[in-house]
Amino acid sequence: MSFEQGVYYALGAVGLFVFLSVMVLALTWIERKGLARIQMRMGPMRVGFHGTLQPIADAMKLVVKEDILPSWADRRIYWLAPLAVFIPALMLWATIPLARDAVLANLELGLFYIVAFSVLSVMGLVMAGWGSANKYAILGGLRAAGQLVSYEIPFIMALLGVAMLVQSLNLIEIVDHQARWAHILIQPLGLFIFLTAGLAELGRTPFDIHHAESEVVGGPFVEYSGAHWAVFFLAEYINTFTIAALTVLLFLGGWQWPGMPFDGFLNSALSVVWFLVKIYVVIALIIWIRGTYPRLRIDQLMAFGWKLLVPLSFVNIVITGVVLFYGWPLWTLTLMSLILLAGTFYLIATYRGTAMERMTVSVHPARIARPEPAVALQQEAGTSTDG
Amino acid sequence: MIGFLEGLVVTLKSTLRRPVTAEYPEPAKRLVVADRYMGFPALTWDYDVSEPYCTGCMVCVRDCPTQCMSAKMKDNPLHAEEKSKRRKIIDEFEINLGRCILCGICVDVCNFDAIEMSHDHERSKYERNGNRVDLPQLLEMGTEYQAKTAWKPKQPAKNSGVPVKKKATPEPAATEPAAEVPVGPDGDGPQDEK
Repeated sequence: MSFEQGVYYALGAVGLFVFLSVMVLALTWIERKGLARIQMRMGPMRVGFHGTLQPIADAMKLVVKEDILPSWADRRIYWLAPLAVFIPALMLWATIPLARDAVLANLELGLFYIVAFSVLSVMGLVMAGWGSANKYAILGGLRAAGQLVSYEIPFIMALLGVAMLVQSLNLIEIVDHQARWAHILIQPLGLFIFLTAGLAELGRTPFDIHHAESEVVGGPFVEYSGAHWAVFFLAEYINTFTIAALTVLLFLGGWQWPGMPFDGFLNSALSVVWFLVKIYVVIALIIWIRGTYPRLRIDQLMAFGWKLLVPLSFVNIVITGVVLFYGWPLWTLTLMSLILLAGTFYLIATYRGTAMERMTVSVHPARIARPEPAVALQQEAGTSTDG
Repeated sequence: MIGFLEGLVVTLKSTLRRPVTAEYPEPAKRLVVADRYMGFPALTWDYDVSEPYCTGCMVCVRDCPTQCMSAKMKDNPLHAEEKSKRRKIIDEFEINLGRCILCGICVDVCNFDAIEMSHDHERSKYERNGNRVDLPQLLEMGTEYQAKTAWKPKQPAKNSGVPVKKKATPEPAATEPAAEVPVGPDGDGPQDEK
């Protein structure tokens, strides 16, 4: 690597960090405002115009706050855990393009790289849970491990479906492939799997059992405070942003704009803006979902992942493969995808009523043995009416 | 599954509604205090004779469940000048509003319409005893409340301080300025004064 290249990557990394930090600050504000509006509140209103400076005030508070180390903590692991979560989250962005020209490293195996690094953050969560020497933290860490590993499979399989369609792992080529038809029109099932598994990967609300406040009081982050907690927080929001960006890149056509009229620099700039708009639409959807659904139980979460999403993601691969192998037109894939999606929804609807209920603990009134009085009463009633 | 979509629609609808938040400390955005609101107790002012209604009879002090009040009576100088029919008048009155539980018993037991639950409710102070209010402060709270709610005594004929001219008029109620309000429900107001 030459000196110029080194400078280029260093500057790029710093630029990415700044860009992502700004995006995270905006994201926290948008999330608080959005949730507040869903609950008919106003959210932050005091700091700056409609609370726009609130994230900065929060960040300053977190940096100034005391950093506490539990006396029983495993120090090295405890201090390393935030980095183990944060670095993969940042590394992902090395290969995610903001526009055709705005990418730090355009890797041929971009998707593979993303999958590899997104898996790593589980390590950090388990380390945080173990290092804290706290029962809630370790339970949360193990829950995180179980959940994230389970949902890796449908997540990666959904990525694979797109990769099969494009015949490439390069993200820019994937976006170019959607110049005419965005993949949401070809693989709606893939989008459903990807978003659902992505939410679970993030630990966003319907799937946030690993930092469920009512059960494990914040999970792996219980003992953290101040700047180290802020690093976890930053990583979590960067991951949210990443999932939204990946959804846009893989399914919603990236920065593609129907009939983009400009070229050159203006084109690139508008592409970035358009890309960000799409990302924030997906983020709005994520916030909307968070404001709507309650948290799943851990058994429901595992059942949903293993019994529904994993088989469905394999079926998605199979139908994509069949269509590609026989060279059928792509609308057949859309059709099959939609039929499967409807089938899935039907399955969820029926499943919720039957098998789900069987899984829950319930007292069976039949086991309480008191048949005699009931029979006697019936007989009495019968005789009296007869008489 | 339809239920899931219904949930999304519900939250979308509530998003489109106006927020119910009142941004409290800003004066323009507070909620309106209802007329029947019971804030801290305050002493009322008799504008007809320019003195408090309170005669210092101590009934509120005795009935206060938290014993947060104290009062002292004196001879009314205005009565000596025949400007008021109150023989005794309040000299010192103190309520520790930090101890007051806003139960309203003092108002219920008062025979002279002298104490009322005002609308005053914002009394954060930096000192422990910052909420011990004396007679002038209580009267200030009371006059503020009277002005705001157009307060009238519940038994005007009985409790008005305007002196009764004993032989000049056969019907004292007709000439009194406060007598436009009908005599109190028990109707024994005028007899009491003798």
